[in-house]
Amino acid sequence: MANAVGAPLKRKEDPRLLTGNGCFADDIQLPGMLHAVILRSPHAHAKIKKINVEEALKSPHVIAVYTGKDLEGKIGPVPSSWLVPDCNLKEAPQYPLAIDRVRYVGDGVALIIADDRYAARDALDLIDVEYEVLPAAVRQKEAMQKGAPLVHDDIENNIALHWKAGEVAEEIMENAEVVVQESFYVQRVFPSPIETRAAIGQYNPGSEELTLWCTSQNPHIHRMVLAGVLGISEAKLRVIAPDMGGGFGGKIGVYPDEALIGYAARDLGRPVKWIEQRSEHFTSSNAGRDEVIDVELAGNRDGTLTAIRVKNTANLGAYLSTMGPGVSTIDFGLMITGAYDIPHASCETFGVYTNTTPTDAYRGAGKPEATYQIERIIDLYAREIGMDPLELRKKNLVRKEAFPYTNAQGLVYDSGDYEKPLQKALEIVNYEQLRQEQEKLRKQGKLIGIGLSTYVELCGFGPSKVAGAIGFQGGVWENSTVRVHPSGKVTVYSGTSPHGQGHATTFGQIVADKLGVPMEDIELVFSDTKAISMSWGTYGSRSTAVGGAAVAIAADRVVEKAKKIAAHELEAAVEDITFENGVFQVKGVPGQQRTFQEIAKSANMAWNLPEGMEPSLEAQSFFDPENFVYPFGTHIAIVEVDKETGEIEWKRYVCVDDVGRVINPLTAEGQVHGGVAQGVGQALWEGAIYSKEGQLLSGTLMDYALPKARFFPHIESSFTETLSPVNPLGAKGVGETGTTASIPAVMNAVMDALKPYGVKDIEMPLTPEKVWRAIQNGEGN
Amino acid sequence: MNIESSHTFKGVSRELLWKTLQNKEALRRSLPGCQSFEEVEDNVFNAELGINIGPVKGAFTGVVRQVDINEPESYRLLLEGKGKPGEIDADAQMSLEETDEGTILTCRADVKVTGVLAAVGQRVMGGVAKVILGQFFKDIQKETKEMAKL
Amino acid sequence: MAIENRKVTVTVNGQERSAEVEPRKLLVHYLRDDLGLTGTHIGCDTSQCGACTITVNGDAVKSCTMLAVQADGAEIMTVEGLGTRNELHPMQQSFWEEHGLQCGYCTPGVMMAMIGLLKENPNPSEEEIREGMEGVICRCTGYQFIVSAVQKAAKIMAEANEKNDQKVAASQLVGEGNL
Repeated sequence: MANAVGAPLKRKEDPRLLTGNGCFADDIQLPGMLHAVILRSPHAHAKIKKINVEEALKSPHVIAVYTGKDLEGKIGPVPSSWLVPDCNLKEAPQYPLAIDRVRYVGDGVALIIADDRYAARDALDLIDVEYEVLPAAVRQKEAMQKGAPLVHDDIENNIALHWKAGEVAEEIMENAEVVVQESFYVQRVFPSPIETRAAIGQYNPGSEELTLWCTSQNPHIHRMVLAGVLGISEAKLRVIAPDMGGGFGGKIGVYPDEALIGYAARDLGRPVKWIEQRSEHFTSSNAGRDEVIDVELAGNRDGTLTAIRVKNTANLGAYLSTMGPGVSTIDFGLMITGAYDIPHASCETFGVYTNTTPTDAYRGAGKPEATYQIERIIDLYAREIGMDPLELRKKNLVRKEAFPYTNAQGLVYDSGDYEKPLQKALEIVNYEQLRQEQEKLRKQGKLIGIGLSTYVELCGFGPSKVAGAIGFQGGVWENSTVRVHPSGKVTVYSGTSPHGQGHATTFGQIVADKLGVPMEDIELVFSDTKAISMSWGTYGSRSTAVGGAAVAIAADRVVEKAKKIAAHELEAAVEDITFENGVFQVKGVPGQQRTFQEIAKSANMAWNLPEGMEPSLEAQSFFDPENFVYPFGTHIAIVEVDKETGEIEWKRYVCVDDVGRVINPLTAEGQVHGGVAQGVGQALWEGAIYSKEGQLLSGTLMDYALPKARFFPHIESSFTETLSPVNPLGAKGVGETGTTASIPAVMNAVMDALKPYGVKDIEMPLTPEKVWRAIQNGEGN
Repeated sequence: MNIESSHTFKGVSRELLWKTLQNKEALRRSLPGCQSFEEVEDNVFNAELGINIGPVKGAFTGVVRQVDINEPESYRLLLEGKGKPGEIDADAQMSLEETDEGTILTCRADVKVTGVLAAVGQRVMGGVAKVILGQFFKDIQKETKEMAKL
Repeated sequence: MAIENRKVTVTVNGQERSAEVEPRKLLVHYLRDDLGLTGTHIGCDTSQCGACTITVNGDAVKSCTMLAVQADGAEIMTVEGLGTRNELHPMQQSFWEEHGLQCGYCTPGVMMAMIGLLKENPNPSEEEIREGMEGVICRCTGYQFIVSAVQKAAKIMAEANEKNDQKVAASQLVGEGNL
């Protein structure tokens, strides 16, 4: 099939999912399977004095109960996978079950295994734990103070890391005509995939192989880490991610729970299933964001920006999560200048331990926070010098001619044309007219707000030597095998691990174009460490740019070999063979041709291959990109704020994203919609609330506002295409752009609406009450 | 969280209200959902209470301590309770103020909860606590009549 | 304190099925664990997410809000009863064509809820569809393509009904001619 890339094809994965034939973790039933539940700490910080499990063990359904002490020396601590260098990183060991001290509400205390789902939960009430409650450190800035309760006794002031990048000379700030300063809090939110986490372990005593099905965005990382934690060979551990009901970063982490289930399955010699409850998910799955960001932006009255100085104080929770240390440092700190050519920049990050659930990557991971502070402070700077925020942006955006552009923190932006999506978005909303209308309506007492976000973000990490230099405990390359069967049907293996993005379709499109075979002839295999070579999974919008590129390269290699076979059979020189729409043809000799399927058969039969050629038609590639990719674009939010109630009403939401080559416009737009929804959710509704004792008060879906359909406007999404030079597809990544761009777009819109009242910031989420209060306390009131 | 509630016991003298509040039997009958209430030592009681806060239901067992007794003006109640839905730790200042109308009893409590109680209950707890206290005040009012007969 | 199991019989997707269950068992667990109908999913524990929505006697119901014993004798439809891969129900077909799903986890519940909506209101506006989705949560799509899918399904279903009506009318005419 030609021209599959770029076509809005329906997804290959959907018929299965639409008919109830998906296979999610809880759908897996194994003979003799047991059910696990985890008793979790109700205290943010306490000593465990005594655990009495006798009553639980008396239940006829309970097979086993394990406590932290029972497992001491049998399973190791679960390590972080991002050991950021040069920041005095202090990693405290996180044992799969707390041994003598619990450090957050939700910390695992005991593992119960029963022969029935309901009986297992009953047994939670039969375990008696005696705690000695300790004072808790909850918010990061307070936790850093001298005398604050220590989460880990040997970690002074709870400081897990102190990281710095870039330098801004004091005189630059002193000599600046304008310095605008603000402190933003990017609040803690929950990724909240609709399927919670799950793990199922099965041990085969014959082969001594442990199979672990778990909700993982990166099964190979899980295998690598858990093999170490459980003390078994990677060759004896098979990790499979079944169908997954979303991840959004929340399923990157290697969690203690997965280690526990693997251990119990092996220890008991029976399959064990653990399904996380939703209320358990809120306290026991990694959260996102929770960063206090102090920013100073310096420049001239004419709008020339000269320097940005940022301090991020990040709440890392009680332990370092898998990616946790990198989020507020590398991901955030190197992107603080955003899409603007600001010559001087510095970032200082404190990562702080607290008695809360650990934080980790959540859709965008550090980039939404970086984009938030720069896009918000740009607006405040424009307000300070009396310039339209659009003009200030235009004046400072990195110019098209400057690419590849090196930002002040040393990152090289691969390619870009920031004016292109900006211009397109302005035309869609008719910006000038809009501003005039806004002015008119303001005079009538109506609060209309226009919010811009001209963002850039980094994704598709690479190359691996850079990953190593920034302390990432893994590679960032990707692999793919394209295997052509004798019939010409194709199986494609990819190391990415999709969970809703639709890789089977988009990667299928890449292969269909390369091999000239119909989409129906291509099957994709993901997410099984036994089927797929070492790889690194799906996160950070890397799947297409890195994983898709690996697929394209492997398919090219297949064609290259097939061409040689065709040349051999057609008795022509390889250079004289063309390949189009699945047909190998001798140039200028009509009829002298072979179909792809014919060559597939020849290659697999190997009856007549060129001298020295190995049989079969299969190729593998390991692609390590030379650089990150940097998608960009413009989002514009238009809102009206009700003065009397503080409610925010949507007028329009327009986004123009440039994500490089768009493989499938339909699924790409779906990614943008979903991303925007999560960003808007953060701006307007979502937020974790902890009491000062460290109790999570927003711990159910009754209390945490996951956005509903009626909350949203119609999202007007379109694309421009500026190809990336760092991968053969020219793709950049689309998974996180919507979230990254939309948070400041919405906030800028609301702040713009409240400009007549002099309101500069309201802490997210913008509940009507907060907005109403800001109006009441505003100028002129 | 802080909970504050007060009630005017019309036509009840401060001494009578004090006496009622110090009477173990009267308290046992008035405490909402009270299943047992035993004095284990001076001013220390073991109590078993049934609590029903919206979606959270359960039995709580705990210890109630009466301290800083300043008859007949004020005392402090320290409560530590434990149940399936979570733990409760409360410090309540009870003060009795005589007026022309009668005696005003004010309860100012700092309440800490854990577990499901915190996650689910906190949102409705303020309101529920007021309802429970209201019930308690009403029952105590009844008890003062019995007490006056003695 | 053993409570005796109860036999629960339901007609699910046109087939009579029964199993012995604990009286406290939720309908969703009965469907999934006892009858093996795993197309209906569970996303929360407070009846907010709607991933477990099915129809019971024609009405959309969150199957985590009912006990299996309460469904004894009921007529139940789950996503497995909607359509097959080769013959998708208009709702499934429209979700496919309009990209109304990403991870697919909430999808069965959302589709069943929307079938319930169309039964009440066969021609809903965008606003009515968004409001009709109050009982379900999707974290992937931002809902926009779900709205398009439901609009498309409503149109297809209305056309099919019209054709059906015409067929009925035609057969009635033929019938009359025979008299």
